[in-house]
Amino acid sequence: MLKTDKSLEEMSKQQVVNYLNETVKPEEGVIPAYLLGDQKVYDIEHEKVFLKTWVFVGHESEVPNKGDFLTRELAGYSLIITRDGEGEIRAFYNMCTHRGMKLCRADKGNKSLFTCPYHGFNFKNTGELVGVPLQKDIYGSTLDRSEMGLHKVKLDSYKGLLFGTWNEDAEPLEEFLGDIKWYLDILVGRAEMEVIGVPQRFVVNSNWKVGSDNFVGDSYHTMVTHGSIAKLGMVPNATYSKRGFQIHMDNGHGLNLGTPNPDFAFPAELKDEFKSNLSEEQYEVLSNLKNMIGNVFPNLSFLISHTKIKDQFISNTSIRMWRPIGHNKMEVIAWMLVEKNASQDWKDRSRDSFILTFSPSGIFEQDDTEVFTDITEAAQGPMPFLKNLTYNYTMGLHRDPVDFIGPGIAYDDKFTEASQRNFYKYWLELMTK
Amino acid sequence: MNVEKMLLKCEFEQWLYDEAQLLDDIEFDDWFDLMHSSLRYQMPVRINKEGVERPDYSTEMFTFNDDIELLRLRVDRLKTDYAWAEIPPSRTRRFVSNVRVKDFVEGEKAVIKSYLLIYRSRSTDIQHDLISGERNDEFIFEEGKWKLAKRIFIVDQTTINTRNLAIFV
Repeated sequence: MLKTDKSLEEMSKQQVVNYLNETVKPEEGVIPAYLLGDQKVYDIEHEKVFLKTWVFVGHESEVPNKGDFLTRELAGYSLIITRDGEGEIRAFYNMCTHRGMKLCRADKGNKSLFTCPYHGFNFKNTGELVGVPLQKDIYGSTLDRSEMGLHKVKLDSYKGLLFGTWNEDAEPLEEFLGDIKWYLDILVGRAEMEVIGVPQRFVVNSNWKVGSDNFVGDSYHTMVTHGSIAKLGMVPNATYSKRGFQIHMDNGHGLNLGTPNPDFAFPAELKDEFKSNLSEEQYEVLSNLKNMIGNVFPNLSFLISHTKIKDQFISNTSIRMWRPIGHNKMEVIAWMLVEKNASQDWKDRSRDSFILTFSPSGIFEQDDTEVFTDITEAAQGPMPFLKNLTYNYTMGLHRDPVDFIGPGIAYDDKFTEASQRNFYKYWLELMTK
Repeated sequence: MNVEKMLLKCEFEQWLYDEAQLLDDIEFDDWFDLMHSSLRYQMPVRINKEGVERPDYSTEMFTFNDDIELLRLRVDRLKTDYAWAEIPPSRTRRFVSNVRVKDFVEGEKAVIKSYLLIYRSRSTDIQHDLISGERNDEFIFEEGKWKLAKRIFIVDQTTINTRNLAIFV
């Protein structure tokens, strides 16, 4: 028997929004499966989430020199990110203002002038239109170049993390990040950090929310999905992932802190640098950190992983974006970061531990993508909607938060779904606004 | 090309075909035995650069960067009951072509370039993944056999269109 006689297909946008309000109940731990499988939900998400919030676009260390540039995407639209002659980082829509051609097709490089392949209009890396072929001859004095600069994109950074937004009315980045900043300090503000090489990129046939959900609060899967790691002796035992704290905060952000750790997971010679960049409380967390897994709403996940490889403990720090391509497809873009002042040996070992664990060949990563793909497949089409199939997110509903040294609402182990409920709560808020 | 060179090319073609067969047949232990203890097994991340700027791949970031010990770990992992990424194992078909001998010292070493196209099918999926690229292999002759000492696989996509690299290249 079908549970509903409605069909998402036939609903207007407003009806879909109303229906989300009726059926998505994060606070009760009820999340319907159709959220991961429906094109209409995806389209509303694009408009109400990705065009409204701050979305990660890169790290400052990817454009270290004047004239460096990157191309990135922001909610499906191509950006050029430049460091201009004054050292300022800017972002522009990668579209010529004359006829709309994509100005730049390289991933990265260094140049101060971008020339359109269509009519040769050229723009400085400050966005200014500086050259129009045969301008005097064909336009006389009628073309005002100052009106035709590249479309600026609102860009801001926090501890080297660059975020962009298409929303002119977006709250300031620091406000949007709120309490998660305290933890981002530990992640990328503990020392001067740099991206190693270029990000890894691969495609997974998964809805993007499965990735965010997994990183924001799902330490529970580690025992089984990543069971092979314990078997290989890279982590102490299968239940190590329970120990620590799960924390969430406003705007859907959240994380899991694995503690304690008898082995200092970071380059010991940089302790002074860490101390000078962190508060005493933050340094205490860093000192005891086994791992840190979290998500900045909507789709920027981060990770400090600490494993034993070749009988040596080594941590690696990475951030990753679940870039939506369709309701059942995403590009995973994973950046690996390391302390700039660490020894070359530490950097190399840290990089190789990242490649072995969380790159596309990574032995953690592989098993996650298998799960993500099958979950997404199971949610597709009208059946999960018609039968009102839901997921159970009630783990830890009976528990009370504890006092924690850092901000946010914290639980004293990682096996709860509070962070995921909080993620969907904010998601629903944006979707129904 | 003289007969000697043809035979040489043939010898390494056969090595690569045999290797492909072992990987496609999921005989990872036998495949691992083809590796030299000094192995470096790399797959750099590809980058889109302007014009003909080279190299158009990262010299710092890799999708694989294994030595013999890490490769052993991967092979061992696939034998645990928890290697979900390959349960059931992917059906793969490796097509090796354009084999060229770049350097050769009898009974010592060889440098071989080849093209590789991997067809990958997962479980009941009706769509498939294709991974294409160029291999730059270095061999060392040891105990009467050619062992792979270095492989650099230059993949043709900047965004890899397969869910993971639980398979070897």
